[in-house]
Amino acid sequence: MIMPDQSILERLNRLGWPTGKAFALLCGVFVSIFLALVLWLAVDQRLVLEGAERLQDKTVPSTLEHFRLARNIEQLRLEGERVLSGRSPVERQQAMFIVSLIASHPAMLADARASALAREVESFLTRSAREGLSEKNNSEWVTLTNRLSLLADDLSIEGVNLETEDLRHMTTTMLQSHIKLAVVLALVAVFVGSFLFLIHRHLIRPLQMMSQTLSELRFGQPPSPVEASAMLEIREVEAAIGQLQKVMLENEQARQRLEFLATTDSLTSMFNRRHFMTLAEEEIKRAHRYARPICVGMADLDFFKRINDSYGHAVGDVVLQSMTALFAKALRHSDWVCRYGGEEFAFVFPETTPIEAQHLAERLRHFAAENRIELSDGICLRITLSVGLADASAGSLDEALKRADEALYEAKSRGRNRVVMAAASDIGERIDEIQVPANERSLH
Amino acid sequence: MHGLRSQLLFLFLAFGTCTISQATERVLRVAVLTNSPPMSYIGDVGQLVGFNVGLAQALCEEMEVRCALTVVPLEHVIDSVATGKFDFSAVSLLDTPERRAKVLLSKPYYRSTSIWFAKPGIEPGTSSVRVAMVAGSAQFRYAQARSWKITTVQHHSELPALLVDGKVEAVLIPMTTSLTLRKDQSIQSLGLVTTVMSQAELSGDVCYAIDPKNPELRDSINKAFDKIKQDGRFDRLNSKYLPFRLQ
Repeated sequence: MIMPDQSILERLNRLGWPTGKAFALLCGVFVSIFLALVLWLAVDQRLVLEGAERLQDKTVPSTLEHFRLARNIEQLRLEGERVLSGRSPVERQQAMFIVSLIASHPAMLADARASALAREVESFLTRSAREGLSEKNNSEWVTLTNRLSLLADDLSIEGVNLETEDLRHMTTTMLQSHIKLAVVLALVAVFVGSFLFLIHRHLIRPLQMMSQTLSELRFGQPPSPVEASAMLEIREVEAAIGQLQKVMLENEQARQRLEFLATTDSLTSMFNRRHFMTLAEEEIKRAHRYARPICVGMADLDFFKRINDSYGHAVGDVVLQSMTALFAKALRHSDWVCRYGGEEFAFVFPETTPIEAQHLAERLRHFAAENRIELSDGICLRITLSVGLADASAGSLDEALKRADEALYEAKSRGRNRVVMAAASDIGERIDEIQVPANERSLH
Repeated sequence: MHGLRSQLLFLFLAFGTCTISQATERVLRVAVLTNSPPMSYIGDVGQLVGFNVGLAQALCEEMEVRCALTVVPLEHVIDSVATGKFDFSAVSLLDTPERRAKVLLSKPYYRSTSIWFAKPGIEPGTSSVRVAMVAGSAQFRYAQARSWKITTVQHHSELPALLVDGKVEAVLIPMTTSLTLRKDQSIQSLGLVTTVMSQAELSGDVCYAIDPKNPELRDSINKAFDKIKQDGRFDRLNSKYLPFRLQ
């Protein structure tokens, strides 16, 4: 029985609710219910007012009439006493006259009990006045006076009960009104609670999720999966954020592609010369600031032109590309290398003394000499490197590179496949050569 | 600017004072009977007293108006009120169609009957009997309609002399004034007997007559009647002037 309703609600949620209309509808329903409840309470208020009005206009006067009738009953007893025991005939006649007036009073005649008893009293008194008060009459009079007193009491109590009945009705109505008021307050509380829950569920929480998503975008994190909101407007904003996220991702990818293109050599994927120079400048500045050792180097493939000429530029490109893996293998992660131009490469060795740089360069040269480059047609090539090094712990990058280039030239001139360290700039033109082992010289 | 403000304040206070004084000086002209104890008569020090006089004063006090009471013969009460000479009459009047056609009537403040006073053996309606009654009363119209032999008087106080002198054999008067007549020393020796007459023309609701052009006054008087009947003023006057409760 519940499942179809849930599926209908879920379908409606999937379709989406216009926020303004949804909450306006909710408020409209509540206002309608609230007005109905207020009218419900107003009915009780009206009943109480009518009861108060009835009490004021009818019941209280009626109660007073009961009291007056009771007073006349009592007066009838008193006048009867005067009839029977008056000091003079005139007084007794006057009392008898008043008894007649009271007994025949229209208000007395309107009440059957009072009328019957008053007539009985009047008859008794008329007879007693004529015959005199005998023992029997006296006993009868005592009975009559008792009945008169009881009737007076009854009439007084009935008068009070008239008001008591009205007050009981009003009290019952007020009690019902209190219960209704409690029901109304409970319904208001339920509505306010539900309203706040819906606002939190469909407005505040989606907004919080959107805020979190935007924060994740700002820090470049992958966005968390978001449950689709039931509110159309929220859903549209979520879609806009999704679109923004997609655009930002594409922009980031494009930026990374452009950065890669701007900083790397397209053939070897090494840093290009411009980016290398920027990085090298920073490293040299840092080394100079903290008085740390640093060296630069220049390397050139030996007889590379012959490869181009013999096997074509495509093979030359393969040879250049193979240098990327070779450098990655031979150098440290902290070293910078770039394709400086043609078959020439430049290096920066941070935190490296000239001796350590010579060892690094020698290992590179050795790896290159050992490296076999297998071409697709089964031909295997071996190529050597000439490396020139320079201490860059003093002076500018350009000066250091110039000295390293001069050392490279020196290495070339001395027969290639070797490492030459340029002399320090303040010493002059002395260049140190690292001797190539005899068994490796025959390889180039 | 200060002077102008003071003048405006003075005008406002003057206007308000005038309005209040006009409201408090509203005077209602009230017709009452005299020589009709215990309902209205001249007291020991010469002032008008009686149940209806006290009731009129209580009503005016409740309505917060000043009332000027003027003595009027009963036979002129209805016409005087009908023509607007008086705002209302503090006179106990049985509610009859003839009166209702001429004036506005207040809500009934008690119910009354009529009392026949006569020598023993003289019954109401005997054609040869001369009956005295107050001119303009319901009893007078009742007797007139039946072609009784009628002797009219202006005031109830004139009735004992007529009975004593033998000018009339009977009188027909309202219940309340019969109490005073019954106590009159001069008629005690006559051995009169009383008969309560409850015919429709002689009994029923008793009201005040009100200017027919002033229904608002009728409403005010009705509210005042309700009030003084609830706060005990009516019953205190009742106890002061009558031996039993009027209802």
